[in-house]
Amino acid sequence: MAGGVAAWLPFARAAAIGWMPVASAPMPLPPRDKRRSQDGLIILNVSGSRFQTWRNTLERYPDTLLGSTERDFFFHEETNEYFFDRDPDIFRHILNFYRTGKLHYPRHECISAYDEELAFFGIIPEIIGDCCYEEYKDRRRENAERIQDDAENENNNDMVVPSLSFRETMWRAFENPHTSTMALVFYYVTGFFIAVSVMANVVETVPCGTASNRVKELSCGERYALAFFCLDTACVMIFTVEYLLRLIAAPSRYKFVKSVMSVIDVVAIMPYYIGLVMTDNEDVSGAFVTLRVFRVFRIFKFSRHSAGLRILGYTLKSCASELGFLLFSLTMAIIIFATVMFYAEKGSSSSKFTSIPAAFWYTIVTMTTLGYGDMVPKTIMGKIFGSICSLSGVLVIALPVPVIVSNFSRIYHQSQRAEKRRAQKASKEAGQSLVCKANPIFDTDHHHLLHCLEKTTNHEFVDEQTYETSCMEVSGMKQSMSCSSSSSSSPHGLTCCSRRNKRKSFNVPNSNMTGIRRGSIQELSTIHIRERPQSNSRSSLNAKFEETVPLNSEEQPYITAAVISMPTPPVTTPEGGDSSCSTDFLRSNIVRVSAL
Amino acid sequence: MSSRRRRCKRQLIKFTQHIARLISGTLKSDNEDEELESTTERYQPENLEQLQSQTHFSRQELQLLYRGFKNECPSGVVNEDTFKNIYALFFPMGDSAKYAYFLFNAFDKDQNGSLSFEELVCDLSVLLRGTTQEKLNWAFNLYDIDKDGHITKEEMFDILKSIYDLMGKSIHPRLKEEKMDINQDGVVTIDEFIDSCQKDENIMQSLKIFDNAV
Repeated sequence: MAGGVAAWLPFARAAAIGWMPVASAPMPLPPRDKRRSQDGLIILNVSGSRFQTWRNTLERYPDTLLGSTERDFFFHEETNEYFFDRDPDIFRHILNFYRTGKLHYPRHECISAYDEELAFFGIIPEIIGDCCYEEYKDRRRENAERIQDDAENENNNDMVVPSLSFRETMWRAFENPHTSTMALVFYYVTGFFIAVSVMANVVETVPCGTASNRVKELSCGERYALAFFCLDTACVMIFTVEYLLRLIAAPSRYKFVKSVMSVIDVVAIMPYYIGLVMTDNEDVSGAFVTLRVFRVFRIFKFSRHSAGLRILGYTLKSCASELGFLLFSLTMAIIIFATVMFYAEKGSSSSKFTSIPAAFWYTIVTMTTLGYGDMVPKTIMGKIFGSICSLSGVLVIALPVPVIVSNFSRIYHQSQRAEKRRAQKASKEAGQSLVCKANPIFDTDHHHLLHCLEKTTNHEFVDEQTYETSCMEVSGMKQSMSCSSSSSSSPHGLTCCSRRNKRKSFNVPNSNMTGIRRGSIQELSTIHIRERPQSNSRSSLNAKFEETVPLNSEEQPYITAAVISMPTPPVTTPEGGDSSCSTDFLRSNIVRVSAL
Repeated sequence: MSSRRRRCKRQLIKFTQHIARLISGTLKSDNEDEELESTTERYQPENLEQLQSQTHFSRQELQLLYRGFKNECPSGVVNEDTFKNIYALFFPMGDSAKYAYFLFNAFDKDQNGSLSFEELVCDLSVLLRGTTQEKLNWAFNLYDIDKDGHITKEEMFDILKSIYDLMGKSIHPRLKEEKMDINQDGVVTIDEFIDSCQKDENIMQSLKIFDNAV
């Protein structure tokens, strides 16, 4: 029951006196008088803003932080108030929840900040009132999508796995042409040949002037048949080679064969082979001619090269329901108007409207405001209905179009945003590395902790140099790795502090926070604290695979079980074994040492 | 015949109005906005000292009661629908509409269709801090639906039915009226009521159980 209704309980109980004279059984004893504590004011000091409320108000929701004894942890004796080091603006809304029973979401607040505050104060977001719930859910979904986008992009672009097999390298080359120059060359060559092939298809139908002994005008294709055939053969050979290479390199051949691009590839090259196989059999050559139409599907191969085309395709897919509705409503309108026009024009002589299906053509042409003029109503009724038809056509078509447009716009902007974020990442990292300042108190304590660990295990942390060099060579192969950024931030580390600082800079990027991955040492305190709970979970250990694979593969013979009980041996296959680098790092360091 | 003509005329007028609105393009919502300005009834209770003198509650108790009341009903009065909704929340399994209606009438001394804070708090003080005589008086007032000073068999049955409805099952209530009707004239007057209740120990005992409700 909401806290507010509890205010009516005394009235309801008092009114129960009315049952007494007619009660058929004696009444149960009333509950013992609970802590009839004096209803006092509580002062809540949130980062300097003082909020005051009745004690009873807070205790309406005893399973939240403020309503339970948990708040005693924040009691500040000297000022006799409860102090919270949180955001006062958002706290305002949380306190209003206690007062009114309704939680609102302010639109101008960042969704993650709001979520954090709610989590801190123990309030589940599901109780957000109806007025704000939709907005909240939308923003949350948007944020999740954005983070997921980021994660995917990072995965795609930054996955530095140097010792991939040749097959994987090939597949990566096919999927991301930017990864190596060979891939780029291949990309451009195939693009060029797609263009050439499509142009050849187009040009070979152009009339090229008559040959000397013929009456009919020849098309270019017939005139220069051999040339076009050679061109076609070359293109098809390139496409076949490309398709076979993709097929070999695909990690899951079955999935690859089922995919749309593969189907397009096959359809693009099949006509040629069928043409080769077929002889000049008159019966089938007619069918063969129609098969050549499928050669035009080669143009769809461009969608691998153009993100815009992909977006368009994706938009159409996501607007399938709107398109379906458009189609359905158009069909309905067409049938109605065609019938009406047919019967209206039935009377007139020499009418083109010979049947209702024949009238379909007129209706479509009129509704889409094309107006070819090959079929025209002659009677007055026909003209009236024809005009109504054209007016309504504009409406029916114009209505679903904005929905499709807005969908396209949203998806397009999303992809633009991803591109922008990628471009901004460089400047963001530069900014963050400027901001990073070591927290000196934290540093000394951290150093001391590591020192204690050394003493415990009677080994020493050494070899940052070797670690760094191995990191460098790894990062040399594939840029964009946390190691390189950390080595870029390590000069800061070196200037800031002792060698141990560099170790921290390695730890930082290897945290599982995708957003803050790159070297902000200042964020270490937050990251590090967050890392601990995360590194406990197996899932986070397996979440991201970093570049420590080469190290681990080197150190495989050095692993001793005695030093650390490793939760999962990190030396699984390069694809499979993921682990957070920090634990890896420590492990790898200690592992190294044990070999010394 | 003329009524039909009148109706026809009215329909015609509505139709022309509709066409006019269609042509001029007014939005329907413009008309509806006018209805939203409801007459906001605001009511302020008597001051605290007066209420303190009228009731048996202490100052703090009155403050507490009023704060809860004002939170729930910012306008200062409770109308019948709100009352019914509140009771529906307390007794969700049954049908509390009838009982809430009787209760509302019992609380609403001046029968003006809305309960002010004073009415509620005065009755509350009677029920929780009053003498048994006053409590029984109030109960009689509750049972006497038409407030004519007599409880008839039908009124009793209605009250009992509404109370049993709160349970959610349709039980045929047991009538105790015959016991109360001393002079057997078919109705129970207030004296008969109070007398028969005072003789019953159970009832006397049970009248006290809610004394600490505030």
